Amino acid sequence: MAEKFDNLEEHLEKFVENIRQLGIIVSDFQPSSQTGLNQKLNFMITGLQDIDKCRQQLHDINVPLEAFEYIDQGRNPQLYTKECLERALAKNEQVKGKIDTMTKFKSLLISELAKVFPEEMAKYKAIHGDDPPT
Amino acid sequence: MVPTGSSTLGFAPGKPPPPPPQSQVSMAVQLPHQLGDDGPTLRKLGAMNEPFYLLRELPVGNELTGNTNLITHYSLEHAYNKFCGKKVKEKLSNFLPELPGMIDTLGSQDGSSLRSLIEKPPVCGNSFNPLTGAMLTGFRLHTGPLPEQYRLMHIQPPKKKSKHKHRHHRPQDPLPPETPSDSDHKKKKKKRDDDPDRKKKKKDKKKKKNRHSPDHPGLASSQPSSSSSLR
Repeated sequence: MAEKFDNLEEHLEKFVENIRQLGIIVSDFQPSSQTGLNQKLNFMITGLQDIDKCRQQLHDINVPLEAFEYIDQGRNPQLYTKECLERALAKNEQVKGKIDTMTKFKSLLISELAKVFPEEMAKYKAIHGDDPPT
Repeated sequence: MVPTGSSTLGFAPGKPPPPPPQSQVSMAVQLPHQLGDDGPTLRKLGAMNEPFYLLRELPVGNELTGNTNLITHYSLEHAYNKFCGKKVKEKLSNFLPELPGMIDTLGSQDGSSLRSLIEKPPVCGNSFNPLTGAMLTGFRLHTGPLPEQYRLMHIQPPKKKSKHKHRHHRPQDPLPPETPSDSDHKKKKKKRDDDPDRKKKKKDKKKKKNRHSPDHPGLASSQPSSSSSLR
């Protein structure tokens, strides 16, 4: 899977470099540069062809739209990944806290109810069985 | 109020009292059985009614809950340490150091945003054909530099960052071509830097000469007249 990304990355780098050189030629154009300019223009088209060929290998790749927001703001998209992981961990911890609290509440409630209603709680435990260990 | 269907109470001798309303209880219990179409759920309810009202079965437990560390479960420790353990740099140019141009600016400013590409996708499906000779005639340009407003001086690739921090910070834009005034200033600066070194070297040489000369009194001290001769 990494190979198709490397392939696309290589083509994109070559394309960008070609465009950069094209810009240098154009910024201070000389008559002798015409041949080079024509060559660069055709390299640009072959570069687009190569990039278009890479598209077929990557049709199943999905990119989250939120990552695009980071790129449009000039921010590192790895920050999006970092924030996703941090949010996932925070939510995980939050839910774990709720589970732990509810488990403690349940065992406390059962123990207190057993003190007040011992017969009923015995029947309840007979139906549901003992509480599974947390 | 005398209930219907029953004899007058207490006034007729030997008549049995009206039957207790036990059938109502049994009717209530039998109701779930009578409604056979919704059988399984209501039968369960009916079965679970004893001894507790509305006691239901516990829900089926899920193996994966928030109680599990999901980062470990999905083997994301390496990714977590990579992104959250170290400081991730803020700018896009840190992610794409080889990409030339001013990429840290907002995409909406120069119309190069990805959002606009999604909202207004370009025409696709056409094939890419190389330019013919006739088409290339349209790309014949005038000689000379571009007008000021069209110049893109930031098209050079950014230089690689040096490890030493005390060096000057790499500018986003490349250095503009040296102007004559700049080169003279640098040359002058070099001369100024060299001059005190040259002076010192000359002083040292003269000291050595004076030490070895027969006229020298033997003291290793610089003579005030020697400094004036260096001008």
